[in-house]
Order: sequence, then structure tokens, then C-alpha cells
Amino acid sequence: MVSKKLTIVNAQGFHMRPASTFATAMAKYSSDVVLKHNGSDVNAKSLMNIIAACIKCGNEIEVVATGADENEALAEAVQMIESGFGE
Amino acid sequence: MLKGIAASEGIGIGKVMIVEEHSLEYQPKQVADTDAELKRFRDAVEAFCEETAEQAEAVKKSAGEKEAEILMGHIYMIKDPGMIGTMEAQITGGQCAEAALESICDMFIEAFSATGDEVTAQRAADVKDIKTAILSILLGVKTVKISEAPAGTVLVAREVTPSMTAGINKDNIVGIVTETGSQTSHSAILARALEIPAVLSVEGATSKLSSGEQIIVDGSEGIVVTAPSEDDVQLYSAKRDAFLREKRELENYRGKKTTDADGNEYELFCNIGTPKDAVKAMEADGEGVGLFRTEFLFMDRNALPTEDEQFEAYKQAALVLKGKGLIIRTLDIGGDKEIPYLGLEKEENPFMGYRAIRYCLGHRDLFKSQLKAILRASAFGDVRIMFPLITAVEELRAGKELVEEAKADLRASSIEFDENIKIGVMTETAASGVIAHLLAKEADFFSIGTNDLTGYTMAADRGNSDVAYLYSPFQPSVLMMIQRIIKCAREAEIPVGMCGEAAANPMMIPLLLSFGLTEFSVSAPSVLKVRKNIAKWTKAEADAVVEKVMAMATEAEVTEYLKSIV
Repeated sequence: MVSKKLTIVNAQGFHMRPASTFATAMAKYSSDVVLKHNGSDVNAKSLMNIIAACIKCGNEIEVVATGADENEALAEAVQMIESGFGE
Repeated sequence: MLKGIAASEGIGIGKVMIVEEHSLEYQPKQVADTDAELKRFRDAVEAFCEETAEQAEAVKKSAGEKEAEILMGHIYMIKDPGMIGTMEAQITGGQCAEAALESICDMFIEAFSATGDEVTAQRAADVKDIKTAILSILLGVKTVKISEAPAGTVLVAREVTPSMTAGINKDNIVGIVTETGSQTSHSAILARALEIPAVLSVEGATSKLSSGEQIIVDGSEGIVVTAPSEDDVQLYSAKRDAFLREKRELENYRGKKTTDADGNEYELFCNIGTPKDAVKAMEADGEGVGLFRTEFLFMDRNALPTEDEQFEAYKQAALVLKGKGLIIRTLDIGGDKEIPYLGLEKEENPFMGYRAIRYCLGHRDLFKSQLKAILRASAFGDVRIMFPLITAVEELRAGKELVEEAKADLRASSIEFDENIKIGVMTETAASGVIAHLLAKEADFFSIGTNDLTGYTMAADRGNSDVAYLYSPFQPSVLMMIQRIIKCAREAEIPVGMCGEAAANPMMIPLLLSFGLTEFSVSAPSVLKVRKNIAKWTKAEADAVVEKVMAMATEAEVTEYLKSIV
């Protein structure tokens, strides 16, 4: 298991477009990827669960990846979130 | 006449087309042949995705990329493992396709709505839209073809769903009226993108109006005129033509510098309340932000925002502005605002009480964390600090001292910021107007807040209808105050702006030009109008107006004269 704590930097948080690009990107890994936010675990491969988690700009989250390709999954997740999804 | 929310500007005159909602009832049942049911469901989803992709393509052409993305989002949503995956599992378990679709959609609709967050709650409307569309396909219900509406149609519906909007041909649809929705709902955003006048949240619109009847939609005022008379139609046609003419004219001012008729340049900034508004300000062709209200960070929550959270918001706005000026006003709250966790006491007279800079100077930790957040953001753009409600030089000095302390803290932690950050005063009290010459020696800039300046100078609350007649920035006392503040700033060679509503008033503009204002800060939709109004005046003409106005004794004389010349 690998994990990293991050702060959401893009103004609109995890809204529709970033959430769907993010979920699609995570879906290609065999590892489980979970976003820990506000005390709950959010499946990072599900756009719908990410939207329901209501993750906003400035929120702190922890990305946790577990599985064969966990390092790659975490690296891409961190890159996407830190770059503010290119927004 | 029906009233609603003015959601998209303009006037539309046309015949009503009610978009009915079909009953999508079915008998939930257990299915024996689950493979066949699964195929029926997958076919329906496939048909839905194809249709949606086509609509998105059409919307991209008519309304643009962003709007098309909303529709494409519907495809991503249904294809999500949490949606299609769970639905298929339920069907495999023996549920019929309709029930599986509905129960899972409803679960997400409820979850999204329960967040209480406006943006997330809007996604609930998307899920609803997906549910209705796929149910219609499964049940074989034919939906009204909005794309075939004849020219001069006013769409009337309970709500305009994104998929409905996709069918809209903007040459034929002249107006939109709905029973639900707000300024920020999809319907409103799409209506504005398509430039179709829209009035939303009109109670009972689909039952009060009937297909074929003529109505007038006034999307600027939020009014629907039913059974209009000849005169109404004439009046509104003229209004519509004037609106369209002005809009075309204003577009000529986009991308231009803000100059008066002599070619002197001015700064034309926007007032914003959130980092998101900064985007609107740029889209509206604003040249910077003259007032960033920071209260949004403190409202509707249970605890103080952290320094990091504030920093992210300020930095975000700074990044959007790409080096253009960003004036951040420090916290402006008092006993009249409900911020439970601050424990503000109800005051007898909150507007003269413990508020704004007074409160902040009394709560140094809170204030310093905001100042540090602003300073950190100053590494990302032309960020400036503005203190509200200054009435005495000591307050400015105390605020500046705290900025120095905040700078020292950041230096000690090797955090970058703009060492020469400008610190200004929002001149919005009678006291600050009178001592403007003293403040100007110690402030880096002034910004006149006309709303409070008028209230505090006239000792009149504009919300109180008995004294509202006194509340006018054209009162000679207020005008003298404004003139004095600008004069003192110019003598001290510091920039002076105005961020109150008056800055956008065409009647005020010649006065401000002659007084010597250097920066106008207005709401985003007013930018082009103000640029146009500034371009009208030469300095000599504006001076002549001021000479007359400043010799007048009453507000009535002033406004009557100004109305006659603009």
C-alpha cells in the first residue's frame, strides 16, 4: 500500500470534467485506488462516487493505492491533482 | 403578469410551447430471462449514449465547448461502474431494467442533493435527466421534438434539462420560461450561452400558460407578460430592439483600452466575491479586480478557514488574473451577519459597531492568518491589500504593522511573497473622507466604496424605506466627499478607484472623470457599458458638467440635470 496527502488546488474542486478524467485514468490500473476525504473512503475509479464526495478547492485528501501497480497509480493520481487537472 | 428569476437578459415575444412531461410509470417486476433483460437494458443505454453524443455535437456548434461537455458528462456518468455496473448486477439478480435504473439513479440523486453544495446538487439534475431519458427509451415514450419548434416559440417547461436544451435552435426559440431553476442552474447557463432571454422559477408556469398563447418574456427584469395588449407588444418590441442594438454596439469595446475622448487612459476593474468570479471578470474583459470580497470564505461553515485554505482561494484568483491587479479586501463582517462560530454579539447598532477593520484589529490571530494568506498569494500576481471601514489613521497604522509582522513570519519560514505589496484604504466613511489628506500620506491607494460612503455620510439606511430618499450618491454632501477623496489622493500621487455601484452609473461617470478618478471597479456585466460611457467624455466637457453640478444645492437638481445630459 502506498499513499500521499494532497490539497486540491483547482478553483472548482473535483467537478464533472476533472472527476471524469481522473476516474478514467485510475480505471486503467489493477490496484484499488481510494481517496480518503472527510473521514470517508471514496472509490477513485467511480466518477459518481467522487462527485458525491463533494471535494472542494482547498480540501485535503489522501490518495491510497493498493495492488500490483500501486506506485504507478499513485504517481499519476498525484500528478493530476497537483497540476489542478490542467485548469 | 408572472414573476420569476431574471436568468438570461433580453426580451422575447412569441407563442408558448409547453414541453410536457410524460408519465414514465411502469410495473416493477421480477424477470426470469435475465439475459434478455440485460440486453434490453444495454441497448437502451447504447441508444441513449448515441443520442447524447449527437446532441453534444450539435450543442458544441450552437453554444460552445463547455455546454457540450455537460452533455458528454451524461455519458461518463451512466458508464460509471457505480451506475451501469450496479444496475446490471441488479438486473442479473432478477430486477427489471426500469427498476434497476431508477433505484440506482435515485440513490445518487439523493446523495448529490444531500451534500447541500450547489454545484454537486446540480449534478443531481444531470442524473435525473439520464434517468428520464433512458426510462423513455425503455418504455418507448416519444418525447416532444424541441428541435422542430417553429420560429417565434417560447419554451415553457417545469425545468429545461440539458438534453432538452440540446434540441434548441436559437433562431426559432425566442424565450424560455421554467418553474424551477436559479441564476446558476444549467438552464440559466445554457440560456445565457445561447443568448435566449429566460425567466426561471415562475411558479405554476406550465399550468398557468397554454400552448399557442402569445406572451412576452423579459429576461432582464424576470417578468412574463401574459395576454399582452397591442401597446405591450409595441413597448417590448422597442425595448428588445434597443437591447440588441446596444449589445452589438458594446461588443465593439471588447479588447479595447479604457480611454476618455481625449485619449487619457483609465483602469477598468471588476468586483468579485469568489475565485470563480475572477474567471467571469476576465471573460467580461475586465482589466483586473478592484474589490475581491473575502467574506465567502468565512460564511456558511462551522469553523474559521485555515490560512492554507484562504491562500489557495487568493492564489487561484491571482493565477486567473495572470498578473493583472487584484485588490483583496480584508474581512468585512459585523454583528449584522450570521457567522455563528465567530460568536459575534448582536449589537444595538451593528453598522456603527464592532465590525470590519475594528473587529479584525481586535482579533489579531484571525487577521494575521488572512494577511499571511494574502501575502503568500502575492507571489503569484499583482496582489494588493485593502482595509475596509477605516475611520482613523491609527487603524491604518495598526493594520500595516500587522502586515509587517505577517511578512516577518513568512520570511522566517522562507515563504515567498511580494515585499512591496501595496496597502490601501477603502474610503467609505465620512471620517475617512474628511481626513483623506492624512490617510493619503500613509496609504498606497484609495478605493471609494460609495454604498457605505453614502449611507455613513447621509446617516441613512437604504434598506429603510422611510429614509431611503436620502440615500443617494448624488446628494451634494456625498459628491463633495467623493471629490475631496479623489483630490487628496491625486495630491499625494496615489491611485484612487471606486468600487461602489456608482462607478458604473452613466450619470456619475463624467463627475468621476473630472474629479480625477484613476480606476473604476464595476460588476462584470457592466464592463463594456462603462468603457463606452467613459469614451464619450472629453476632460473639458466633464469639467463643465462638474462646475454646474457642484454649484447645485439639492440632489433633485443634480439628478435632473445629469439625466438631461447623458
